[in-house]
Amino acid sequence: MSGVAAPTRRGLLLLGAGAAPLALAAAAEAAPASDLDILERLLARERRLEAAYEAALRRGALGEALALALRDQEREHAHGIELSMAARGRRAPGAPEPDPALAASLRSRDAFARYASGLEGRAVRAYVNALASLRDTRLLQPLGAILASEAQHEVALRRFLGEPLLGV
Amino acid sequence: MAGSLTRRGALGGAAVVLASCGSSDPAPRTGPRPGSGAGLLNSILALEHAAVAAYATGAGLLRGEALRYAREIAGEEREHVRRLEELIRGLGGTTARPRSPDEYARSFPRLHDGGGALRFARDLEERLVRAYLQALPKLPDAELRRAAAEIAADEGAHLAVINVLRGGPAAPQPFVTGTL
Repeated sequence: MSGVAAPTRRGLLLLGAGAAPLALAAAAEAAPASDLDILERLLARERRLEAAYEAALRRGALGEALALALRDQEREHAHGIELSMAARGRRAPGAPEPDPALAASLRSRDAFARYASGLEGRAVRAYVNALASLRDTRLLQPLGAILASEAQHEVALRRFLGEPLLGV
Repeated sequence: MAGSLTRRGALGGAAVVLASCGSSDPAPRTGPRPGSGAGLLNSILALEHAAVAAYATGAGLLRGEALRYAREIAGEEREHVRRLEELIRGLGGTTARPRSPDEYARSFPRLHDGGGALRFARDLEERLVRAYLQALPKLPDAELRRAAAEIAADEGAHLAVINVLRGGPAAPQPFVTGTL
């Protein structure tokens, strides 16, 4: 194995904090997204997931222990990204608009688990895209640790649904 | 290897074994330029080869659902092997070859039952997650990072499945670093 130390919890939370503030280029139409823009989009996903599990907890739309665990983990992901953005000079935006599909999903446990599984799957793809695009390499390991966590959430939801754990 | 297998012994043994048959193997002499990522990917390829061999070994001790998932995961690890080989060749490199089954058998910890096989599988998957995450900042090309990230997500899912088979929650931690 390489000599790179495994990321510490503090390191994960700071997500590479301490970097010099990124020089944000003028937003040319064809310019690729900046690292801060990418982080902001990932944060929006994390908050949407957290809000979904919070709603499921209130409505009993998922097993309580599972909803609690997943909500808390999404909250930790969001917190880490917020700290990272703050360290780079950007305040986290307010909460995203509620997803209209969430309310409909809360009618049954199966419907919610499928809705949440869809959110998790899209989060996995968003992290993969982010890891290919980010310029600050200090972000890659900690965001990779969140990517792997979201992949585990998909397995947890498939288990809840009684589906094959690795999907198709 | 000691005849009896404690949890600590199994994990420690597995770590030593995997270190010896995985990424600490010298990368083969290849043609790609230094820093291309070929050597790093070859180190991970050696670890994937070891994982395929380890699942084949552990399968003899598993039954039912655990056996079905072990076979499915092994199939996905073989896909990772193929993908890594393709990437390494694309960089002008020569791919690391697997050791012989006898060499792997001699180097793996002695497994006595399904529980031991699943502990070994967990250790394998932790090491694979860690290897891919540690590779990310060192890979110079976006598409190489994308491939490593996609496979890291697979390994995270494998780890979750092993967690479930061992009777625990699929996702016990918010940050999956591959560190036990």
